[in-house]
Amino acid sequence: MSRLRRASLIGLAVVVMAAGVAAWLVLPTRSMAFAGGSAVSLASYRGPDPTGVPAELRGADLVTRGRYLATAADCAVCHTAPGGATFAGGLPFKTPFGTLYSPNITPDRETGIGAWSESDFLRAVHEGVAKDGSRLYPAFPYEAYSLMADADVLAIRAYLFSLAPVRNTPPANQLMFPFNQRPLMAIWGALYNPDQRFRPHADRSPAWNRGAYLVEAMAHCGDCHTARNLAQAPDNRKKFGGAVIQGWRAYNITQDRTSGVGAWTDAELAAYLREGHVLGRGAAAGPMAEAINASLSKLAPSDTLAMVAYLRTIPAIGSGDLPAPRTDLASDLPKEMAAGDDRRGREVFAGACASCHGWSGKSPLFPHANLTGVRAVNDPSAINVAQVVINGARLGRAGGDVVMPAFGQTYSNAEIAAVANYVTARFGSTRSEITARDVARLR
Amino acid sequence: MLQPRTLQINGEARTVTAPDDMPLLWVLRDILGLTGTKFGCGIAQCGACTVHVGGAAVRSCLLPVGAVGARPVTTIERVGETEAGARVQDAWLELEVVQCGYCQSGQIMSATALLNRIPKPDDADIDAAMAGNICRCGTYIRIRDAIKRAAARA
Repeated sequence: MSRLRRASLIGLAVVVMAAGVAAWLVLPTRSMAFAGGSAVSLASYRGPDPTGVPAELRGADLVTRGRYLATAADCAVCHTAPGGATFAGGLPFKTPFGTLYSPNITPDRETGIGAWSESDFLRAVHEGVAKDGSRLYPAFPYEAYSLMADADVLAIRAYLFSLAPVRNTPPANQLMFPFNQRPLMAIWGALYNPDQRFRPHADRSPAWNRGAYLVEAMAHCGDCHTARNLAQAPDNRKKFGGAVIQGWRAYNITQDRTSGVGAWTDAELAAYLREGHVLGRGAAAGPMAEAINASLSKLAPSDTLAMVAYLRTIPAIGSGDLPAPRTDLASDLPKEMAAGDDRRGREVFAGACASCHGWSGKSPLFPHANLTGVRAVNDPSAINVAQVVINGARLGRAGGDVVMPAFGQTYSNAEIAAVANYVTARFGSTRSEITARDVARLR
Repeated sequence: MLQPRTLQINGEARTVTAPDDMPLLWVLRDILGLTGTKFGCGIAQCGACTVHVGGAAVRSCLLPVGAVGARPVTTIERVGETEAGARVQDAWLELEVVQCGYCQSGQIMSATALLNRIPKPDDADIDAAMAGNICRCGTYIRIRDAIKRAAARA
């Protein structure tokens, strides 16, 4: 073989391999591919309808049904700015490519969607195309919403159109070239949005199918809990294996027993979805608390149980850096501590944290403040511990919200890093090594 | 409809009608008239509202009364009738710890709980136990001295 020929063969092999790797990195993956190929169309499915509203609302009027579905799809959390009118848009999304702002979806004719017909709204939700033909960015999870039945999309529209129009134009997006070229999003949509309605699996239970519809088409859990590929589409080969998004870590919710929720009981999963808190497992904060407060806590009990039935079947994926949470209490005596005692962290903890959280990890005040067994405390990146210290937490509850104050204005980055490392060392299974610079990036 | 509940306050059974999520501090001050316990920050960051629940120092401004249950509650009004509480209060008076006084109910409750748990605390024990009780008059040095004097008399 001539040297030239060998070189060109090697060159060809390199190109083919590079193309293969590139394809692997951006290959579209379907959210329910793990469930196998037994899916059938909704029309030919003989079980109870997995779409729509739960039994208790089946007889309700269109707007009431739409409100339930808009709640299940958690529209309000993204389409409401802090302090702004609900659904009037303007919430910023910081992405690697710049900042996006959610649009106004109140029925204002000029600044909202008041002029959108039913088919305009269907096209936006299923295809990611606005009334004027411009492409929407996939921060809007239309790759998930495209699973939604037409009737459900139109019920949501009817609900939105029943609300008072709010005149509000959110700030213009600030994206870098070429991501500021909306037409390019057509490529993204073609690759990553199957634009196919939900297909039930005839070999699965009615609860599983309902749960799949709620998790995939409505709650779009994968938009936070599934890592994204190079093209920022959820990579379902790592389905629900966890990801960092908007500066918070959305944890592994696969059935892995060590780093996921495989060791949780059905009752614990249901309680977490409904109340954002399980004794010995921890309380939701950050974006998950928002999802629970605005959406998951308001679902019918049968729907919560259906979501649990579906989540139970997600294949286990281990997150190598997440150890099993430590379950034994720390010493109740401040001085007694295993390795990792840090004077600065201890002083911040003593002054600001110990009076609610206690020294042992069991709160003297309420179980939501227990630190023992909590995933965030057993995460050696300490990202969410630092975020909760910076931003505080608020969990809605019928008897009154459970609140942790925000300390981001009170303590420096170095102090927040020190107390986060102290907390993971004292109460968790692995001491974190978060730095002041890391904390600065989280703000 | 709110159900009356019975709390063990300072050795007496007291029946009050309050929602589960009402902070114990409100029950103590507004319903039972025990105003020796102070409201400071309302977010468990200053320590002025400290009482003992089951012997532990707890911030009553955030503790829901529904979480108290049968555990005995001791407040500044009667802590002087306990052995350690009497030692702490004597030491406090001897060393003139108090300046404006607003935080001192909480300081005395935290100090007493500390001595019940660690009879001979060193500086690190005192710092850790008292760090959550802040004093804008700056009586910290006298507080530390008084805790050591009270400990020495055990």
